[in-house]
Amino acid sequence: MALPIIVTHRTDIFSLAVTDKQILSASGSNALQVHSTTGPDFPLVQTLEAHKVGCHHVVTDEKGLKAVSIGFGGEVLIWECQDEAWFKTKEVALTDVWAIALSADGQYLAGTTQNGHIKVWDLGADEEEIRDHETKGSFGTCIDLSPDGRLIASGHENGNVYIFSTETGRMPFSLSGLVKPVRTVAFSPGGKFLAAAGDSRVIVLYDTSSGEQVASLTGHSAWILSLSWSSTGEYLLSGSFDGKVKVWSIDTRNCVATHSETEKAIWSIKWLPKVGKSEAFATAGASRSISFYREATGG
Amino acid sequence: MDFPLGQDIQHAEPGLRVERSQAAVRQYIEETLARLIDEVCIAEDEGQPSITIKKRPVNANINFCVNPSTGALETDDRGTKITYTWPGKNAYEAWRFSITLRVLAAISEAFYAGLVISKRDIYYSDPAVFESQQVVNTLVDDFAYTIGVSRSDLNVEAAAKGLVTGFYQVTTTTGERIDARLLTNDCLIPRVQDISRLDVSDVDWVLILEKEAVFRRLSRSNFHTRARAGMGLIITGKGYPDLGTRAFVRKIYDLLRSSNPPPFYALVDSDPDGIAIMSMYKYGSMAHASENKSLVIPCLQWLGLRTSDLVENAENGDELMSLTARDRKKIVAMLSRNPVLTVDGPEAEWRVELQRMMMLNMKAETEIKYERDGGLEGWIDWEMERRAGV
Repeated sequence: MALPIIVTHRTDIFSLAVTDKQILSASGSNALQVHSTTGPDFPLVQTLEAHKVGCHHVVTDEKGLKAVSIGFGGEVLIWECQDEAWFKTKEVALTDVWAIALSADGQYLAGTTQNGHIKVWDLGADEEEIRDHETKGSFGTCIDLSPDGRLIASGHENGNVYIFSTETGRMPFSLSGLVKPVRTVAFSPGGKFLAAAGDSRVIVLYDTSSGEQVASLTGHSAWILSLSWSSTGEYLLSGSFDGKVKVWSIDTRNCVATHSETEKAIWSIKWLPKVGKSEAFATAGASRSISFYREATGG
Repeated sequence: MDFPLGQDIQHAEPGLRVERSQAAVRQYIEETLARLIDEVCIAEDEGQPSITIKKRPVNANINFCVNPSTGALETDDRGTKITYTWPGKNAYEAWRFSITLRVLAAISEAFYAGLVISKRDIYYSDPAVFESQQVVNTLVDDFAYTIGVSRSDLNVEAAAKGLVTGFYQVTTTTGERIDARLLTNDCLIPRVQDISRLDVSDVDWVLILEKEAVFRRLSRSNFHTRARAGMGLIITGKGYPDLGTRAFVRKIYDLLRSSNPPPFYALVDSDPDGIAIMSMYKYGSMAHASENKSLVIPCLQWLGLRTSDLVENAENGDELMSLTARDRKKIVAMLSRNPVLTVDGPEAEWRVELQRMMMLNMKAETEIKYERDGGLEGWIDWEMERRAGV
């Protein structure tokens, strides 16, 4: 069951980040928008003019106290939240960084670079670069940190997927990869699985303890650009270039729902924090709007 | 010395414009040379021969904007005056003085003889002194800017670069007539100054192409007479257009815009250079900002290519190419500097398309359409009809 409620933007929305009470959206305009998710009509509560040439990634920590956004010009902004209002604390220059992920405690920022490096910066120590993993030089399109902070996963344009241990800085195992560009990687809430997807239109699930590929979910007919796990890890959401949104049951490995409200690319998709029994999620992209759906869980 | 600035010249009627431009060039040359001779004739060691020119605004530090009334990229910056004196403070200034004088002498010679010379001719008259073609190009453009005329008013032309094929007839000032309507071969774009009469009244559409290869293909298949949208004109500036190509397209636009004008389309590659080329036709260039208002094509429509369209239809995406590091830098520079592409600028769709290229890290060339259903021609037919609302 879907209840799409739509909030419109002026241009493509490239990234969403959620906190307990808010959703942050990054778009090709010069402003980040903050909408409240506690009210029924998701009112706009703040506009953060920050990225002159547009913003492609925004991420938040677990408590929703810190956010990091990165613009097309390469500028990285660090934000803090007080009384549900965000303010900019810092602008830093991190060379060639593209996709970013923030640790649950907000202390560490992980990022990919155009030449395939995976780096970690300590935001508690003046953004000191504490890790620099080199891969085969293919563009790092996407990145995620496991909820316990022990693992970093990255996806690359040449189809490779890597997992690094943040403690040792090593790759515990090599993953089989996806042949075509990977556009999104996401750890499950318990950290048991890593999901990866992209231009091959298949979602691959890896077991993070062995590196084995344990499932592949097929059904999308266009490039998959974004993945998001439900808070319990029971469901995985995927959004694709043709505007399709799919909900997958991890138990049965089946697609349990498909939404196709738009034919325009879904750049970002995110579950909202669970309220009561129902779960909701948001999608955004080339339709220039955020659509909110309520999903009756249990299929 | 006050320069007879060409502010009014650019807006005057064509016949009057040429007359005023010529008067301005003549006055500048005569005054400058007279002053030089005066200085040289002063007693030894006291004369200070010098030449003052205005450098065109360079784009790094100054603000450009899109003038809503002309649709052209313009700047309030009036450039910087520079005076080169002989013998000057050092060898560099002496060299600058002498090459500036050499270029002015070449312009003067061509102007009084009524001949057209190329920037290449000037450079090759003494490559050892000029050191590079770029030095000559910059000086010629700065002289035009100083006098307030266009480069062609100085009788200096770059070698003709653009190509045209299509349903037009032209009569040159020397009386030569070209009826291109049923010809299959293409022509070098004629100099606008050499055209006494151009007939494009039967043209239903104008298509500007980035690439010569695409132009050759459409020209070989007689697309200008076989398109479903009717009889057309196909033009290419072979990449970034020269002033001659832009002036020719603008002449067509001026001839057609009074009546119910046909659509003008741009077909460029889906990459940062493609968008920059289209922007140059539609809004002008930062290097020749003072001439933009008489060269822009405000009605130009973007026919394609869009990476996002290609992805939707891509069987496997293999024909799409990754952006290079230069492409990504170029996109960021364009988004940061070109006022056409700002968040409140006139081309929101170009802006978002550049951002999508960055997101996907992909670009595509026009040739990709050769192998698709209907081929390039079928696709252009479809896109033109869609835009015309058929």
